[in-house]
Amino acid sequence: MLDAFSRAVVSADAKGAPIGSEDLSKLRKYVSDANKRIDATLAITQNVSCIAADAVAGIVCENTGLTQPGGHCYPTRRMAACLRDGEIILRYVSYALLAGDPSVLQDRCLNGLKETYLALGVPLSNAIRAVEIMKIATVAIMTETNTGRKMFKGINSGSGSECQDIAAEAASYFDLVIEALR
Amino acid sequence: MKSAVTTVVSSADAAGRFPSISDFESVKGSFDRASSRLEAAEKLAGCIDQFTNEAVDFVYRDNSYEQSNKDKCVRDIHHYLRLINYCLVTGGTGPLDEWGIAGMREIIRIQLLPTAAYIEAFIFLRDSSKISDMMTQQAAAEFKGLLDYLINALA
Repeated sequence: MLDAFSRAVVSADAKGAPIGSEDLSKLRKYVSDANKRIDATLAITQNVSCIAADAVAGIVCENTGLTQPGGHCYPTRRMAACLRDGEIILRYVSYALLAGDPSVLQDRCLNGLKETYLALGVPLSNAIRAVEIMKIATVAIMTETNTGRKMFKGINSGSGSECQDIAAEAASYFDLVIEALR
Repeated sequence: MKSAVTTVVSSADAAGRFPSISDFESVKGSFDRASSRLEAAEKLAGCIDQFTNEAVDFVYRDNSYEQSNKDKCVRDIHHYLRLINYCLVTGGTGPLDEWGIAGMREIIRIQLLPTAAYIEAFIFLRDSSKISDMMTQQAAAEFKGLLDYLINALA
Protein backbone atom coordinates (compact mmCIF):
# COMPACT_ATOMS: atom_id res chain seq x y z
CA MET A 1 0.00 0.00 0.00
CA LEU A 2 1.26 3.46 -0.89
CA ASP A 3 0.41 7.00 0.08
CA ALA A 4 1.23 10.26 -1.68
CA PHE A 5 4.75 10.27 -0.17
CA SER A 6 5.70 6.67 -0.86
CA ARG A 7 4.20 6.93 -4.37
CA ALA A 8 6.73 9.73 -5.06
CA VAL A 9 9.51 7.54 -3.62
CA VAL A 10 8.63 4.52 -5.73
CA SER A 11 8.51 6.52 -8.95
CA ALA A 12 11.77 8.34 -8.12
CA ASP A 13 13.48 5.03 -7.35
CA ALA A 14 12.49 3.71 -10.77
CA LYS A 15 14.51 6.59 -12.23
CA GLY A 16 17.31 6.18 -9.67
CA ALA A 17 17.17 9.87 -8.85
CA PRO A 18 16.63 11.66 -5.55
CA ILE A 19 13.33 13.48 -5.07
CA GLY A 20 13.89 17.09 -6.07
CA SER A 21 12.05 20.38 -5.75
CA GLU A 22 9.49 19.68 -8.45
CA ASP A 23 7.99 16.57 -6.84
CA LEU A 24 8.35 18.08 -3.39
CA SER A 25 6.13 21.00 -4.30
CA LYS A 26 3.28 18.55 -4.99
CA LEU A 27 3.87 16.90 -1.63
CA ARG A 28 3.92 20.27 0.11
CA LYS A 29 0.49 20.90 -1.37
CA TYR A 30 -0.68 17.57 0.02
CA VAL A 31 0.65 18.57 3.45
CA SER A 32 -0.85 22.05 3.35
CA ASP A 33 -4.22 20.59 2.31
CA ALA A 34 -4.18 18.16 5.24
CA ASN A 35 -7.03 19.91 7.07
CA LYS A 36 -9.28 19.88 4.05
CA ARG A 37 -8.40 16.27 3.36
CA ILE A 38 -9.29 15.23 6.89
CA ASP A 39 -12.57 17.17 6.72
CA ALA A 40 -13.43 15.61 3.38
CA THR A 41 -12.75 12.16 4.81
CA LEU A 42 -14.97 13.02 7.76
CA ALA A 43 -17.72 13.95 5.30
CA ILE A 44 -17.69 10.31 4.23
CA THR A 45 -17.24 8.66 7.62
CA GLN A 46 -20.02 10.67 9.26
CA ASN A 47 -22.55 9.82 6.56
CA VAL A 48 -21.70 6.27 5.56
CA SER A 49 -25.04 4.63 6.23
CA CYS A 50 -26.91 7.54 4.74
CA ILE A 51 -24.87 7.52 1.51
CA ALA A 52 -25.02 3.73 1.13
CA ALA A 53 -28.75 3.54 1.95
CA ASP A 54 -29.58 6.33 -0.49
CA ALA A 55 -27.67 4.61 -3.25
CA VAL A 56 -29.41 1.27 -2.70
CA ALA A 57 -32.80 2.99 -2.41
CA GLY A 58 -31.94 4.78 -5.65
CA ILE A 59 -31.30 1.63 -7.67
CA VAL A 60 -34.44 0.02 -6.26
CA CYS A 61 -36.59 3.02 -7.16
CA GLU A 62 -35.16 3.16 -10.66
CA ASN A 63 -35.70 -0.54 -11.13
CA THR A 64 -38.60 -1.75 -9.00
CA GLY A 65 -38.23 -5.32 -10.24
CA LEU A 66 -35.19 -5.66 -7.96
CA THR A 67 -37.25 -6.09 -4.78
CA GLN A 68 -39.93 -8.29 -6.38
CA PRO A 69 -39.64 -12.06 -5.94
CA GLY A 70 -36.94 -13.17 -8.39
CA GLY A 71 -35.27 -9.73 -8.31
CA HIS A 72 -31.69 -9.35 -7.23
CA CYS A 73 -32.51 -7.48 -4.00
CA TYR A 74 -35.06 -10.10 -2.91
CA PRO A 75 -35.23 -11.31 -0.15
CA THR A 76 -34.00 -8.77 2.38
CA ARG A 77 -30.87 -10.80 3.01
CA ARG A 78 -29.63 -9.85 -0.44
CA MET A 79 -30.63 -6.24 0.02
CA ALA A 80 -28.60 -6.23 3.26
CA ALA A 81 -25.58 -7.61 1.39
CA CYS A 82 -25.97 -4.76 -1.04
CA LEU A 83 -25.93 -2.16 1.74
CA ARG A 84 -22.93 -3.82 3.32
CA ASP A 85 -20.98 -3.72 0.06
CA GLY A 86 -21.82 -0.05 -0.39
CA GLU A 87 -20.30 0.66 3.01
CA ILE A 88 -17.20 -1.40 2.22
CA ILE A 89 -16.60 0.56 -0.98
CA LEU A 90 -17.04 3.82 0.92
CA ARG A 91 -14.56 2.60 3.53
CA TYR A 92 -11.86 1.95 0.94
CA VAL A 93 -12.58 5.24 -0.80
CA SER A 94 -12.12 6.98 2.55
CA TYR A 95 -8.75 5.23 3.04
CA ALA A 96 -7.62 6.23 -0.46
CA LEU A 97 -8.72 9.81 0.13
CA LEU A 98 -6.80 10.01 3.41
CA ALA A 99 -3.68 8.49 1.86
CA GLY A 100 -3.97 10.59 -1.29
CA ASP A 101 -3.32 7.54 -3.41
CA PRO A 102 -5.68 4.90 -4.89
CA SER A 103 -3.39 1.90 -4.33
CA VAL A 104 -5.19 0.73 -1.16
CA LEU A 105 -8.54 0.83 -2.98
CA GLN A 106 -7.11 -1.00 -5.98
CA ASP A 107 -5.22 -3.70 -4.10
CA ARG A 108 -7.64 -4.47 -1.30
CA CYS A 109 -11.07 -3.76 -2.73
CA LEU A 110 -11.26 -3.62 -6.52
CA ASN A 111 -8.82 -6.38 -7.42
CA GLY A 112 -11.12 -9.32 -8.27
CA LEU A 113 -14.33 -7.52 -7.30
CA LYS A 114 -15.86 -7.82 -10.76
CA GLU A 115 -15.05 -11.54 -10.94
CA THR A 116 -16.59 -12.06 -7.50
CA TYR A 117 -19.76 -10.25 -8.50
CA LEU A 118 -19.99 -12.21 -11.72
CA ALA A 119 -19.57 -15.47 -9.84
CA LEU A 120 -22.21 -14.51 -7.29
CA GLY A 121 -24.62 -13.33 -9.96
CA VAL A 122 -24.69 -9.70 -8.81
CA PRO A 123 -25.93 -7.52 -11.69
CA LEU A 124 -22.99 -5.23 -12.54
CA SER A 125 -25.10 -2.54 -14.16
CA ASN A 126 -27.03 -2.00 -10.92
CA ALA A 127 -23.86 -2.09 -8.84
CA ILE A 128 -22.32 0.57 -11.10
CA ARG A 129 -25.43 2.73 -10.79
CA ALA A 130 -25.26 2.47 -6.98
CA VAL A 131 -21.61 3.59 -7.03
CA GLU A 132 -22.55 6.52 -9.27
CA ILE A 133 -25.19 7.63 -6.79
CA MET A 134 -22.70 7.29 -3.93
CA LYS A 135 -20.25 9.43 -5.87
CA ILE A 136 -22.79 12.19 -6.47
CA ALA A 137 -23.95 12.13 -2.84
CA THR A 138 -20.41 12.15 -1.45
CA VAL A 139 -19.30 15.07 -3.60
CA ALA A 140 -22.44 17.03 -2.68
CA ILE A 141 -21.92 16.45 1.03
CA MET A 142 -18.21 17.32 0.84
CA THR A 143 -18.72 20.54 -1.05
CA GLU A 144 -21.89 21.33 0.93
CA THR A 145 -23.93 21.65 -2.24
CA ASN A 146 -26.52 19.13 -1.06
CA THR A 147 -30.05 20.39 -0.57
CA GLY A 148 -31.22 20.64 3.01
CA ARG A 149 -29.08 20.70 6.11
CA LYS A 150 -25.29 20.70 6.35
CA MET A 151 -24.38 17.05 6.53
CA PHE A 152 -21.06 17.03 8.32
CA LYS A 153 -19.08 18.89 10.86
CA GLY A 154 -15.37 19.20 10.13
CA ILE A 155 -12.86 19.32 12.96
CA ASN A 156 -10.82 21.87 11.05
CA SER A 157 -11.55 25.10 9.28
CA GLY A 158 -11.53 23.87 5.69
CA SER A 159 -14.89 22.66 4.41
CA GLY A 160 -17.54 23.33 1.80
CA SER A 161 -16.34 25.27 -1.20
CA GLU A 162 -12.73 24.88 -0.08
CA CYS A 163 -13.06 21.12 -0.53
CA GLN A 164 -13.64 21.34 -4.31
CA ASP A 165 -10.23 19.89 -5.24
CA ILE A 166 -10.44 17.10 -2.70
CA ALA A 167 -14.01 16.31 -3.74
CA ALA A 168 -12.81 15.98 -7.33
CA GLU A 169 -10.14 13.58 -6.08
CA ALA A 170 -12.78 11.55 -4.21
CA ALA A 171 -14.90 11.46 -7.37
CA SER A 172 -11.91 10.05 -9.27
CA TYR A 173 -11.71 7.19 -6.75
CA PHE A 174 -15.41 6.39 -7.29
CA ASP A 175 -14.69 6.45 -11.04
CA LEU A 176 -12.00 3.81 -10.45
CA VAL A 177 -14.62 1.61 -8.78
CA ILE A 178 -16.99 2.08 -11.72
CA GLU A 179 -14.16 1.38 -14.14
CA ALA A 180 -13.27 -1.83 -12.29
CA LEU A 181 -16.88 -3.09 -12.53
CA ARG A 182 -17.33 -2.33 -16.23
CA MET B 1 5.76 1.08 2.07
CA LYS B 2 5.42 2.14 5.68
CA SER B 3 4.60 5.73 6.48
CA ALA B 4 2.41 7.45 9.06
CA VAL B 5 -0.63 7.32 6.81
CA THR B 6 -0.28 3.76 5.56
CA THR B 7 0.24 2.46 9.11
CA VAL B 8 -3.01 4.09 10.20
CA VAL B 9 -4.91 2.82 7.17
CA SER B 10 -3.55 -0.73 7.58
CA SER B 11 -4.67 -1.00 11.17
CA ALA B 12 -8.08 0.54 10.42
CA ASP B 13 -8.50 -1.94 7.57
CA ALA B 14 -7.44 -4.89 9.72
CA ALA B 15 -10.23 -3.96 12.14
CA GLY B 16 -12.67 -3.24 9.32
CA ARG B 17 -13.46 0.21 10.60
CA PHE B 18 -13.50 3.68 9.12
CA PRO B 19 -10.63 6.04 10.00
CA SER B 20 -11.39 7.42 13.47
CA ILE B 21 -10.63 10.74 15.12
CA SER B 22 -7.48 9.34 16.70
CA ASP B 23 -6.33 8.14 13.27
CA PHE B 24 -6.81 11.66 11.93
CA GLU B 25 -4.86 13.06 14.86
CA SER B 26 -1.90 10.83 14.18
CA VAL B 27 -1.95 11.63 10.46
CA LYS B 28 -2.15 15.30 11.34
CA GLY B 29 0.79 14.93 13.71
CA SER B 30 2.97 13.51 10.99
CA PHE B 31 1.97 16.32 8.63
CA ASP B 32 2.96 18.91 11.22
CA ARG B 33 6.52 17.57 11.14
CA ALA B 34 6.50 17.16 7.38
CA SER B 35 7.71 20.62 6.41
CA SER B 36 11.13 20.24 8.02
CA ARG B 37 11.48 16.74 6.59
CA LEU B 38 10.67 17.98 3.11
CA GLU B 39 13.08 20.88 3.51
CA ALA B 40 15.89 18.49 4.44
CA ALA B 41 14.97 16.25 1.49
CA GLU B 42 15.05 19.18 -0.91
CA LYS B 43 18.43 20.48 0.31
CA LEU B 44 19.89 16.98 0.23
CA ALA B 45 18.61 16.40 -3.32
CA GLY B 46 20.24 19.65 -4.39
CA CYS B 47 23.65 18.84 -2.90
CA ILE B 48 23.71 15.07 -3.14
CA ASP B 49 26.69 15.01 -5.53
CA GLN B 50 28.59 17.57 -3.49
CA PHE B 51 27.96 15.65 -0.23
CA THR B 52 29.01 12.39 -1.85
CA ASN B 53 32.24 13.79 -3.26
CA GLU B 54 33.23 15.56 -0.07
CA ALA B 55 32.64 12.45 2.02
CA VAL B 56 34.52 10.18 -0.38
CA ASP B 57 37.40 12.64 -0.71
CA PHE B 58 37.63 12.69 3.05
CA VAL B 59 37.75 8.89 3.29
CA TYR B 60 40.37 8.64 0.52
CA ARG B 61 42.45 11.60 1.69
CA ASP B 62 45.30 9.26 2.70
CA ASN B 63 46.07 5.85 1.30
CA SER B 64 44.30 3.75 3.90
CA TYR B 65 41.90 2.35 1.23
CA GLU B 66 42.49 1.16 -2.36
CA GLN B 67 42.30 4.27 -4.54
CA SER B 68 41.03 2.13 -7.43
CA ASN B 69 37.79 1.48 -5.54
CA LYS B 70 37.01 5.13 -5.15
CA ASP B 71 34.41 5.35 -7.92
CA LYS B 72 32.54 2.35 -6.49
CA CYS B 73 32.52 4.03 -3.14
CA VAL B 74 31.10 7.19 -4.74
CA ARG B 75 28.32 5.10 -6.29
CA ASP B 76 27.43 3.42 -2.98
CA ILE B 77 27.48 6.59 -0.88
CA HIS B 78 25.31 8.29 -3.49
CA HIS B 79 22.92 5.35 -3.36
CA TYR B 80 22.61 5.52 0.44
CA LEU B 81 22.11 9.28 0.39
CA ARG B 82 19.35 8.83 -2.17
CA LEU B 83 17.63 6.34 0.13
CA ILE B 84 17.96 8.82 2.99
CA ASN B 85 16.31 11.40 0.74
CA TYR B 86 13.42 8.94 0.26
CA CYS B 87 13.18 8.31 4.00
CA LEU B 88 12.95 12.04 4.60
CA VAL B 89 10.07 12.19 2.15
CA THR B 90 8.09 9.25 3.56
CA GLY B 91 8.79 10.16 7.17
CA GLY B 92 9.86 6.63 8.08
CA THR B 93 12.83 4.34 7.61
CA GLY B 94 10.94 2.17 5.08
CA PRO B 95 13.07 2.87 1.97
CA LEU B 96 16.38 2.39 3.85
CA ASP B 97 15.13 -0.80 5.49
CA GLU B 98 13.68 -2.33 2.36
CA TRP B 99 16.19 -1.26 -0.27
CA GLY B 100 19.37 -0.47 1.66
CA ILE B 101 19.66 -2.56 4.80
CA ALA B 102 17.80 -5.80 4.07
CA GLY B 103 20.39 -8.24 2.73
CA MET B 104 23.21 -5.74 3.20
CA ARG B 105 25.15 -7.83 5.70
CA GLU B 106 25.25 -10.79 3.34
CA ILE B 107 26.49 -8.69 0.43
CA ILE B 108 29.14 -6.99 2.52
CA ARG B 109 30.41 -10.32 3.83
CA ILE B 110 30.57 -11.96 0.40
CA GLN B 111 32.21 -8.99 -1.34
CA LEU B 112 34.58 -8.34 1.59
CA LEU B 113 33.68 -4.66 1.55
CA PRO B 114 35.31 -2.39 4.12
CA THR B 115 32.23 -1.12 6.00
CA ALA B 116 34.52 1.08 8.05
CA ALA B 117 34.93 3.29 4.98
CA TYR B 118 31.19 3.82 4.68
CA ILE B 119 30.86 4.51 8.37
CA GLU B 120 33.71 7.00 8.20
CA ALA B 121 32.05 8.78 5.28
CA PHE B 122 28.65 9.03 6.97
CA ILE B 123 30.14 10.16 10.27
CA PHE B 124 32.05 12.84 8.35
CA LEU B 125 28.77 14.00 6.79
CA ARG B 126 26.87 13.91 10.06
CA ASP B 127 29.47 16.03 11.83
CA SER B 128 30.02 18.35 8.89
CA SER B 129 29.07 21.91 9.71
CA LYS B 130 27.64 22.32 6.20
CA ILE B 131 24.41 20.61 7.15
CA SER B 132 23.54 23.03 9.91
CA ASP B 133 24.57 25.96 7.72
CA MET B 134 22.30 25.08 4.85
CA MET B 135 19.10 23.94 6.58
CA THR B 136 17.09 24.79 9.66
CA GLN B 137 17.91 23.10 12.93
CA GLN B 138 14.81 20.90 12.78
CA ALA B 139 15.56 19.77 9.24
CA ALA B 140 19.20 19.08 10.13
CA ALA B 141 18.05 16.99 13.10
CA GLU B 142 15.84 14.85 10.85
CA PHE B 143 18.71 14.33 8.39
CA LYS B 144 21.27 13.52 11.07
CA GLY B 145 18.85 11.12 12.73
CA LEU B 146 18.67 9.08 9.55
CA LEU B 147 22.44 9.21 9.08
CA ASP B 148 22.80 7.84 12.60
CA TYR B 149 20.27 5.13 11.85
CA LEU B 150 22.31 4.06 8.81
CA ILE B 151 25.62 4.21 10.69
CA ASN B 152 24.18 1.92 13.36
CA ALA B 153 22.90 -0.48 10.75
CA LEU B 154 26.33 -0.65 9.07
CA ALA B 155 28.29 -0.98 12.28
